[in-house]
Amino acid sequence: MRMPWQRKPVAAPIPSAAAAAAAALAIPPLASAETGVIHLQGVECRYPGSDDPVISDFNLLVRPGEFVSILGRSGAGKTTALRVVAGLEQVTDGYVRIGGQLVGSTFMHTPPDQRRIGLVFQDYALFPHLSVAKNVEFGLKDLPAEERSARIAPVLKMVGMSGYESRYVHELSGGQQQRVAIARALAPDPVALLLDEPFSNLDRQLRAALRRDIKKIVAESGATTLLVTHDREEALATSDRIAVMGGGGIEQIGTPEEVYENPVSAAVATLIGPCELIPGVFRGGVVVTEAGVFPTRITTDESIPDGRQVLALMRASELEIEAAREDEQRTATVEQREFEGEFSEYSIRLDSGTLIRVRRRAANGLGVGSRVRVQTRDESKVIVFPA
Amino acid sequence: MTFSGVLSMGWKSTDGKRPPTLLVVSAAVVAFASLIPVGYLLIRSLGAGSDWIDIIWRANTAAVFGRTFLLIALVTVISVAVAVPVAWLTVKSNIPLRRVLSVASVLPLVMPSFVMATTVIEMYSPRGVLQGWLSGLGVTRLPDIYGLGGATLVLVLMTYPYVLLTVRGALRRMDPALEEAARAMGYGPIHTFRAVTLPLLRPAIAGGSLLVALYTLSDFGGVALLRYQTFTSTIMIQYQSSIDRTLAAVLSLVLVVIAVLLLLGEGFTRGSGAYHRSTVGAVRSPRRIDLGSWRWLGAAGVGLPVLIGLVIPVGVLVHWLVRGLLNDQQLLPLLIPALNSLYVSLLAAVVTVLAALPIAILAVRFRSGLSRFFERSIYIGFGLPGVVVALSLVFFGINVARPLYQSIWLLIFAYGVLFLPASVGALRSSLLQVNPRVEEAAQSLGRSQWRVIFSVTIPLVMPGALAGGAMVFLLTMKELPATLILSPIGYRTLSSSIWSAASEAFFAKTAAAALLLVVVAGIPTAYLTLRGHGDRADVSEKPLELKEVSR
Repeated sequence: MRMPWQRKPVAAPIPSAAAAAAAALAIPPLASAETGVIHLQGVECRYPGSDDPVISDFNLLVRPGEFVSILGRSGAGKTTALRVVAGLEQVTDGYVRIGGQLVGSTFMHTPPDQRRIGLVFQDYALFPHLSVAKNVEFGLKDLPAEERSARIAPVLKMVGMSGYESRYVHELSGGQQQRVAIARALAPDPVALLLDEPFSNLDRQLRAALRRDIKKIVAESGATTLLVTHDREEALATSDRIAVMGGGGIEQIGTPEEVYENPVSAAVATLIGPCELIPGVFRGGVVVTEAGVFPTRITTDESIPDGRQVLALMRASELEIEAAREDEQRTATVEQREFEGEFSEYSIRLDSGTLIRVRRRAANGLGVGSRVRVQTRDESKVIVFPA
Repeated sequence: MTFSGVLSMGWKSTDGKRPPTLLVVSAAVVAFASLIPVGYLLIRSLGAGSDWIDIIWRANTAAVFGRTFLLIALVTVISVAVAVPVAWLTVKSNIPLRRVLSVASVLPLVMPSFVMATTVIEMYSPRGVLQGWLSGLGVTRLPDIYGLGGATLVLVLMTYPYVLLTVRGALRRMDPALEEAARAMGYGPIHTFRAVTLPLLRPAIAGGSLLVALYTLSDFGGVALLRYQTFTSTIMIQYQSSIDRTLAAVLSLVLVVIAVLLLLGEGFTRGSGAYHRSTVGAVRSPRRIDLGSWRWLGAAGVGLPVLIGLVIPVGVLVHWLVRGLLNDQQLLPLLIPALNSLYVSLLAAVVTVLAALPIAILAVRFRSGLSRFFERSIYIGFGLPGVVVALSLVFFGINVARPLYQSIWLLIFAYGVLFLPASVGALRSSLLQVNPRVEEAAQSLGRSQWRVIFSVTIPLVMPGALAGGAMVFLLTMKELPATLILSPIGYRTLSSSIWSAASEAFFAKTAAAALLLVVVAGIPTAYLTLRGHGDRADVSEKPLELKEVSR
């Protein structure tokens, strides 16, 4: 028998992945792998009085338990997309569904407070007038008092902030504020967690550590997560899938490996990894450039006819250099060499002035000023895009 | 679509957010109420038909105009000349007792003009205290204190803190790198001040001067006791002495026009000033300039206005009080007027801050044409002399709102119209420092817009609300013309009872009441001045600013 002073037994406050998936399914009746937790279809968002939409024809499906990153340059409309999901912006066209339910379209708009979305802001936006515990409790108003307090401790423990309950926001470091912000967003058991550039206000070292931690926390809670970032490392390291934004919509979506290996456009390629694009002519399966003639592969849907001007994607990790013979054509000059332990990174100046980077294992020879021949490493092929 | 949906359709803000309907409705009510005095005055004056030119002529208006403008010009120029050096010395130099002097130099703000006037007359009148001290030197008679000279002295002492506060704020916010850059380019300290510092201070000086000019235009007690007839005192005399109040109404409208002209004149420099500090704390605190042995002279320079504007007046009051107590003289009854003052001022503070909230929230969070219109319409009180508001509310009370007439609610209404800009200004700057993301976070955690306002926005703007309330409290304690005109018959406050004794030259009788008034008014002033003097650069708290000090 339970005595009055004993706490009512509560269900495991932080659901395991399975429980979270079940919970996600329980609330939105239609949530499934097909309908997705978050589903944007043809979404356009345009600020009043402006002709240019911030995002347009935006399509995205995030499945239960998935971690998806939206990667894009600053000003690409990433944050707007996130705010559309949260209900902080109204769409001017298209459909927004959460858990299969329509929450936003041209004619209807469910306000943010009725969407059950956990949102972590770039600057955390913790309530400065409330303690850490009260911040976390803020979203639990619908629960009875004792369940509320029973929930705070495990959530704070999960983010590693136990013992800070009575602290105020200004007494916490940036990383700690970040953790509290995540705890606050997760506490009400949201349908999905949205993270807006969550690591951009932290210094480099802390960023990497916290990234791993948060990946773990999110995995543990089983929350479906949508992260917005302009940092390719962040997107590559954390996500199940990456959606690369360009021109107000999504240009490519896929696993980090897919997107990195097979970028569908020059823009996606430059966003997803360091590289140089040099002009050349496509001719019978190879590309002829001033840096040399390389075997190619094509990742775009477009077919490329012979003789077409193209851009060849030069990635340091796929290129190799050798000392050039005296009479050789299409050579370049070593401008700089940085020894980085496992390999040396060479800056190679082409005769047109373009600088490309090449990695080389061998540490000997090829000093600054030597003429070299650029070629692909092992069996790799150079990706080309129509110019 | 629901009724509220239809209502709020039209006022989507420029970033597409839709404010809660109740917020818009309450802001509309407040804005409309603020426009009642001027609107009613207009109706009333139009009723006078074409006689008004004749009426204005009859009142010898041109001469009053001339006198008023002369006083405004003198007071403004001298206040700036006093305040700018004091501001510079207390912010940028190493004078001894800098922090103490810095706070003390603002405190003359607590002296009501009619109290300042009584003490000035006691001290400097032809056969006053100063003459007594100087008689040993063979001075038998000082120049007459009554008239332009005395009025200027009283008003300068009372109003230089307005310029001081705005200029000091600007000096503190100024990036010291600008002056350092000038120095590095070979400018000497004086040249740097003229070429860099002064131009950067110009908007602050203009803003402070506007406050001084508006105050001078609207002051009644000080000029009346010193027998210098200005527009405001003419209106009061007209109102009190004649049965036909149309003349007072027409003259009030002229006063409104003058106030609007002053506002427009300053408007060019104010423009769309940046309130958002883009980089919090990025501006280093200014390096203080070592004045060497001159620093003692600097301290004396800062101390002089404090001495004349605060120490001597309070000394005179204490002297009267002690003498009165020793001679068993009859003093004014204290308890009831003090309680009335306290009650009215607290009520005015609470009502005004509550009325300011929807206006400020709408103006900051939901910018649109409509929210700007609401904000502008309450700023009308910024330029309206108390006499005008009070007179118009008398007409309004008699003809339209009969049940309110002769009740203290009409008085509170007048204070509200007059001091709303002060509290909106304080709330506004406080709100601008609240990150809107915090409110969005609250909404994403399941609270409706309306509940977010109560659970997040209002708690976070509490410092601003307190500052605004303190300001309104102080201003209400000191207010005279509206209090005289609108107080229910027999309802005495500290200021009205001091005034009635002082206007019959029973100065000594006012001592206890005046001291009490100064002390009570001193509490919010001290709070407001000390707020900006903390060591930590807390963004939520900043010292008094232009719009907070409107009267």
